[in-house]
Amino acid sequence: MKRALLAMLVSSVAFANPDPKTPDAQRAQIEAVRAEIAAQIQLQAYDLIDELVFEWLQNPPFGVATPLVLADVGVPVSFGSGLQALIENHLTSVVLKNPRSNVVLTHCPACTAMVVHSGAKGTVVSRGVDSPEALAEAGTAAQSKHALFLDFEVEGSAMVLRVRITSLEPSLPIVYAKTLTTSTGSAALLRTGDRLKSAADARKEYTDILENRSTWTIPIKVGVKTYPPGFQSIPAPPFIWISGGVEAGFNQARAWLASFSVGVSWAPQSHTAWSAQARVARLLTGTVSSLTHPDLYFFLGASIVSVYGNSALLFSDDDVSIDELTRIITNNPNQTPSRTFGAFQIGLELRVKNRIGVGVYLETIPALASDRNIGNYLNLGLLRFQTFGAEVSFCF
Amino acid sequence: MALVLSGCAYDPSPGLSHTRREARNFECQRLGQEEAHDRYPGDIPPVPPRQMAQAMTEALVCEPRFISIDDRAPRDEAILSTLRRDVGALTELASTLTPGALVWHVDAFYPEQAVASKISIAAKTELFERGRAVSDRVPTLAAGDISVLSRLPPNQAYATACTRYFAEHVLGEHDVFLGLMVVDPRETQLHAGVCQAGKWRWVQ
Repeated sequence: MKRALLAMLVSSVAFANPDPKTPDAQRAQIEAVRAEIAAQIQLQAYDLIDELVFEWLQNPPFGVATPLVLADVGVPVSFGSGLQALIENHLTSVVLKNPRSNVVLTHCPACTAMVVHSGAKGTVVSRGVDSPEALAEAGTAAQSKHALFLDFEVEGSAMVLRVRITSLEPSLPIVYAKTLTTSTGSAALLRTGDRLKSAADARKEYTDILENRSTWTIPIKVGVKTYPPGFQSIPAPPFIWISGGVEAGFNQARAWLASFSVGVSWAPQSHTAWSAQARVARLLTGTVSSLTHPDLYFFLGASIVSVYGNSALLFSDDDVSIDELTRIITNNPNQTPSRTFGAFQIGLELRVKNRIGVGVYLETIPALASDRNIGNYLNLGLLRFQTFGAEVSFCF
Repeated sequence: MALVLSGCAYDPSPGLSHTRREARNFECQRLGQEEAHDRYPGDIPPVPPRQMAQAMTEALVCEPRFISIDDRAPRDEAILSTLRRDVGALTELASTLTPGALVWHVDAFYPEQAVASKISIAAKTELFERGRAVSDRVPTLAAGDISVLSRLPPNQAYATACTRYFAEHVLGEHDVFLGLMVVDPRETQLHAGVCQAGKWRWVQ
């Protein structure tokens, strides 16, 4: 409102000194964080609009359907017209889906345009909604006799929406005003526009979904393990594994997970292998797994692996050269080499909505500590990681 | 991992898990165990039924700020972070000092126009929610008045403007004007004054 009034612009400058220009580095930083937090602010702003329209459904601001001009949408200081447009669209969408709110948004270009009004007391430049008499004299008075103003501001950890409806008569009385807040501590509720419900009900629905979610899941994993070549530079073929099992969260928060799985791997002329693995995983990104954001878990695992076939020869303490490998295979065509060993894993897994995950890990095989056929990806002296693995998991 | 297991990751103070800058971007408040359990049932256990009255347990609840404390101009951030609390206190004081069936007009005087608008809107909304009749119309003066006022120190400028509002019938007997401002551009404390019947009174 104030910015629209030329005289008051002058008076504000007169009453307070201008601020020095924002430094360029600070502007650059604002630009960087803007993209990062805009989505979060946008969702919270949508949440507040949903709450506002729900409030209107419970207590309509007007007894009958009343046309309103959306006069202004103020976004938090340092945010721009992109966020403003998104909020306007969402408000329009939710209001259209909820006609029982008795609020009918109307189009009035002259109301939001700057108008110049000259009278006996002087010339005033302002927006149409700030000068209804100017609109009336220009013959462009809107169907609407009311203007709706929304103002969002970020106040610490709270997002605040201030709404007011002003009657478009010369004294511009405010006929409705409301303050709504939300905070970073509560996730956006993402209510659907055509079935609005109270924040309490939406939160209850959200927690019910969480509580009814089974603590058990069945993960199916597809992964690959690779081994670096040892002294003979005979590379072990990568093992492609398919595994399945059960996974349980210790509680609904799913901050701790335990799983058991069995897997098979097969490659023609090379190997057939099976494994059994137990894992314990800990959520790193918070205390509760999220339904809206990816979760990062750290895990430790222990497994037993049995390999049958020519590739098993590489998992032995004997140095195996190409010639020796050929001789063993040629001389013992009916004998299948086999090797069984234990292994321990340490890794990270990124889960999305507890449904799809991507994991990477390193594996140490203590029995192969002196095996020179397999190299090390990471040698910490007492602890050598001979395997690097990656996997994709689908939880059911 | 060790940090998570030992609980250090949940300690909001600067240290191993949070830098000083990250810690500054938390807003923390202490809650009683009962209230904390109601709000964070998964994290805070319920009060044991036989807990002794004197054995009070508190939870320190910290929420990250939407916008980091350094991302906006420091003075703007200081004003905006506590806008609701500060404007709420000022409007409460002003409406207590100025009873009666009056129509309130509000304006804010702050070097940044965007922030001034936020202050003004917050005050109008607060006054309306306190049951006051509020107008969106901002009283204006002629260019000649502004020219004179701009040469006066703030203490005199606001009082003189108030006199002119009344003399020019911009404000009437049943109107009251609430001005919110920073008097010194270096300060982060909002002040307020009320103009009624041509007389200016500082509220804070």
